[in-house]
Parts: sequence; C-alpha cells; structure tokens
Amino acid sequence: MRLNLSYEKKKGLYGYGFIALWFIGSLMFFIIPVIKSFIYSFYDVKPDVGALVMSPLGLENYKKAFMVDPDFRKNLMEVLGATLWQTPIIIIFSLFVAIIINQKFRGRTFARAVFFLPVIIATGPVYAIITNNLDTSGTADADQFSTMFSADMVDQLLEFVGIYGFNDKLTEMLSTMTSDILNLVWKCGIQIIIFLSALQGIPTSAKEAAAIEGATSWEFFWKITLPYVSPMILVNLVYTIIDTFTDPTNVVMEQVLSVQDDWKYGYSAAMAWSYFAIVLVAVGIIFLVMNKIVYYDD
Amino acid sequence: MAENTIKATASDFLKKVKPEKPPKEIKRSRKEERERFKKRLSTLTPAEQKYLKRKRAFETLWPICRGLLVFGLCFVIIYPLIYMITAAFRPRSEMNDPTIIWISRTYTMDNIKDVIRVMDFWKTLGNTLFINIGCSIVQVITCAITGYGFGRFNFKGKNILFGVVILMILMPAQIILIPQYMFFRYFNPLGIWHAITGEYINLIDNALTMYMPALMANGLRAGLFIFLFRQSFRGLPKELEDAAYLDGCSPLGTFIKVMIPNAGSTFLTVFLLSVVWYWNDYYISTSFFTNNSTIALQLKNLNASLTRVLFNNGTVKVNARELIVWMESGCLLSITPILVMYIFLQKNFTEGIARSGLTGM
Repeated sequence: MRLNLSYEKKKGLYGYGFIALWFIGSLMFFIIPVIKSFIYSFYDVKPDVGALVMSPLGLENYKKAFMVDPDFRKNLMEVLGATLWQTPIIIIFSLFVAIIINQKFRGRTFARAVFFLPVIIATGPVYAIITNNLDTSGTADADQFSTMFSADMVDQLLEFVGIYGFNDKLTEMLSTMTSDILNLVWKCGIQIIIFLSALQGIPTSAKEAAAIEGATSWEFFWKITLPYVSPMILVNLVYTIIDTFTDPTNVVMEQVLSVQDDWKYGYSAAMAWSYFAIVLVAVGIIFLVMNKIVYYDD
Repeated sequence: MAENTIKATASDFLKKVKPEKPPKEIKRSRKEERERFKKRLSTLTPAEQKYLKRKRAFETLWPICRGLLVFGLCFVIIYPLIYMITAAFRPRSEMNDPTIIWISRTYTMDNIKDVIRVMDFWKTLGNTLFINIGCSIVQVITCAITGYGFGRFNFKGKNILFGVVILMILMPAQIILIPQYMFFRYFNPLGIWHAITGEYINLIDNALTMYMPALMANGLRAGLFIFLFRQSFRGLPKELEDAAYLDGCSPLGTFIKVMIPNAGSTFLTVFLLSVVWYWNDYYISTSFFTNNSTIALQLKNLNASLTRVLFNNGTVKVNARELIVWMESGCLLSITPILVMYIFLQKNFTEGIARSGLTGM
C-alpha cells in the first residue's frame, strides 16, 4: 500500500530519517549519561565490579560542596570573577582585530593565517607547556625588557633624583602586560573568525550609503558595523563564556576531575551539576538582555 | 585605384577598432599633490574643509598604526613558536648559559631523538592518525546529515530536539564522563549481551570508544558541528531544492547531489576543526585510554615519562630549565603534523569559515 501524504508531510518524515542516527547516538552518549550523572549527584557512588554501588544521600553532596568544602567556593568565585573581566576584553579585542584584518593591506593573508594559529594550537597540552616554559625559562618576554633596562641611564638618573625601584616596578608592569597580551591573543582565535564572517556579511548597499553620506570611519563603526555585527557579539559572548567555563585547565574543572580520581563519583557529579547550573543561568541572563539590544536586519 | 581605397578604408577601420589608450595617469610630485589639495580646499566651505583634512590625516596615519599593530600582535603569537624551535635544537647544557637567549652556540638533534624514543613517536603518531582522521571523517559525514535534517525539514518536535543539540554545546564534558566510562567499561551490546553470556565487554583502550560516538554524530564537540552545518544548509536557496524535486530527485539524492557540492567550504572547515580538536584532546581520552596511546596524552605526561625512560629512574630531578629543551622538542614534534596541514589548507580554512553561513542566525 502506498501512503498518500502531502509533499510537506513526506518531507517531514524524511527529516526524521536524517536525524535518526544522531538521535539514537545522543540517547546513548548524551541524554542517558546526563540523567545518570544527575542521579549520581544525590547518591554516594562507589565503583564495584560490573556496576556502581549507590547509597542515597539526598542533598548531602550539594550541601558539602557549598557549606563544607572551602576550595569549591573559592575556586568557583575565582572562575566567575576571571570570566567576568576577561569576556568583555576578549570580545572587544577580537572585534578590533577582525576589523583590522578585514581591511585590505599587504600581507593580509599572512596576518590572517597567524591570527587563526591559536585555534590550531591553544586547545591542546602544547599551550600549557609553552606558557609554562616561557615563565620558567628566564627568556620570557618581560625579562628581556628588564635586561634591556638594567643598564639604562634612565634608572640611574632617577636614582640620582631620589626615586628608587623604578626599574623593578616598570619591569613588573611590563611583565604582567606582556603575559596578559599573550594570553589574550591566544584565546581569541575562534572569536576573530566569527566576527570576520559577520563583517563580510555586511551588505554592500549599507556600505555605499554610508560612503555617499560621507560617514567618517568612526561614524561608520558605530552606525553600520556595530549594528550588523551585534548578533555575532551575542554568539561570541556565549561562546567565550562556555569556552572559559568548560576549559579543562580552569580550577573548578581541575577540582572536579581530581575528586573523580578519588572515586567520589557522587560528589564530583554534584559539583559539576551546580557549576553547570550557574553557567546556564549566566548564559540565560546574557541571552535575554542581549537579545533586546541586538539588531536583526530582517 | 580601387586597391588604394580599400587599403585606406582598412586602415581607417583598424584605427577605429583599436582601443584607445587609457589616459595616462599624471604623475605628480608630493608638492604638486599638496598644492592641488589646497586649491581644492579653497573652493569648499569650512566644514567640508575640516572633514577633508581629517580624512586625509587619518588615511595617511592609519596604515602605519595598523602595520605596527598587526606586526606586534603577530609577533606575540609567533613568539612561543620561535622559542620552541630554538629551544628544541639547543644542547641541554646551554640552557643555563645566561648569554644565550635566542641563538645557541651549537645545534643538536639529540633532544628530538630522545623525545621520539620517549614518546614512542612513530607508533603513537600512527595510532593518533588512525583515531584522529578516521573519527573526523566519520563525524563530518554524520554531523552533516544531522545538520541537514535540522536545517531543511520541518517536523514535529524539531525545536525540542534542536534544544538537545544546543545543550550538547553548553554541557561540559565532565558531567557525562563517568556514565560514559561505565558504558564503555561494561559494554553491553543491545542490552542483551550480558543476559546471554553473563559477561560484559571491556572497551577501554579500544579505538571504538572514540569511533562509536563519532559514528552517531556525538563525537567531540559534535553539537557545534551540527549547529554549523544547520546554519550553512539553511542559508542555501530553496529554489535548489525545488528544482531537484521537480526533476524527480529524492530528498536523500538532493542532499548528496545538490546540497553537498554547495556546502564544500563548510565541510572543509568542520573537518579541519574536528581534526584539530581530536588531535589536541587529552581530556576525554585520558579516561578512555590507559596507556598514553595518543600524541596529546603522551605530551601531557611527557614530564613524567622523560625521567623514567631517559634515566631509568623516576625519581631523578632534572633542572626545570634543562627540562625545557625536551618539552619544547615534544611540542614541536606534536604540532608539526597539524601545522603542515594548516599551512596547506589555511586559505580554504579561513575563507570557509567566513563563508560558512555563521552569520545567518
């Protein structure tokens, strides 16, 4: 028997066919594990042959995380604080870089290739080793500046006038600045790419209108670029937050993993879930607030 | 006589057809330029003068600033790589010489050789490539199919299911790691294997732990890839699909013959990102592999295995500064393959992302 369905309905059925594989997979590898780990967080879970031995604890795990464990709260505040001040800087910086490498100049292809290099390297263990080595090797950025300044006339002159320790302060300032810039640039790869694609999506008609009206670059940025890019600012905000929160090298994640290694599965699940809830609330608030500010073309 | 007239008309004709030379660009010296600019200014109102002057100043100054900025930032990014190269070929003893910062007195391949031995590099590389490239190809295909389903079809419950995809992007992997580990440690095919044989299958240290999720569009960061594919398929014109339908093409045929060729850049982008993330992943693989069988794992544990293999003794303390030469050689070895790939494909990569329809939110 041949089913007599309309074109649209038939298409709908094909849609189920296309996502069927993913659906089965996500049941096995995502939905069921998520539910399981949520259940774990209310139990004391110990590994045993063939299965996990579980004894119910109620909210004990959560209470322990927030009331008893001193590290968890401290780490949580640290990560939240770091995200709070890093995210705006990352967004502004990557928008700035994207605008620059969207312009035409000699060596643009090379510059683009270099700016996307962090995407290739920064997610792996290589990055940790690189930054660590630059700190311990003594050839790191700031120390080179300090050797340059140590024989400097300026310092001696200042000492003569009566200002001591100027060199040290300068070195310290330079060292924090350079290492911050290094970290910043290395974290912006994907964001720059997303902004670049948004910049290239600005319609030519808008650009021409601005040119005919005689807009300066400054006005062009505020009245053309920013509105057209604003949906991608939202995307980048969410991406940056998720990226910093789920980064395996941040302190909360490290703590969750170390607790897991101690076989305290229930406790680690409770920590991970409360952490995730906070992230979700933060992302939700940003989404609601930004969605009103963002300008959509259509 | 007749011949002459013909010749004459022919030459006239040629003259007419010959394109006129474009007017020569008049080269002016800087001084003349400035005078012309002043002349032009004098015919304008003060407000217009101010605007033109500002614009001119900006146009001359900006390229210089931009050049400096781009150079500086590029330097910051490349700096660790240059350092990596100089340190990797530097003899260990010279790390303690304060006069050497960049260029060492002698060069040596010893560090590289040591690290190749410690990391069991060639075998690990083969293993990593097997997992990495295979999973990436599989993942690209399955995510494309799923993304196409979400981007091009309307069916009941689509929004809820797509919510699951978004949740996949947002959810940290740590949350589901233990249940996943249990799933693979006590693998129970179809849920009946245990009932029949009374045994579980241990899949830990098996490449299947990576392949199975990838095969079902649930691999590393699969949510993001599905999202990317959905955006890019949604951006393609509906006429393509209608034309294919009128020509009697089934939805699957439309997908393979019409849509895939039009989304080539997205495929390349997702493949590259997938390769890179599988290559760099040590977080997921730590729990599924116990014997350092991928490059990222080897590199993560290089510090410990160095002293164990090189000195036959795990307790030997090597000076942190001297350790750097090996660590940097390890980094160099492990990023070279993806770096080579990136250099060959970077143009397609950057353009592919820019065109992959990310903007069509």
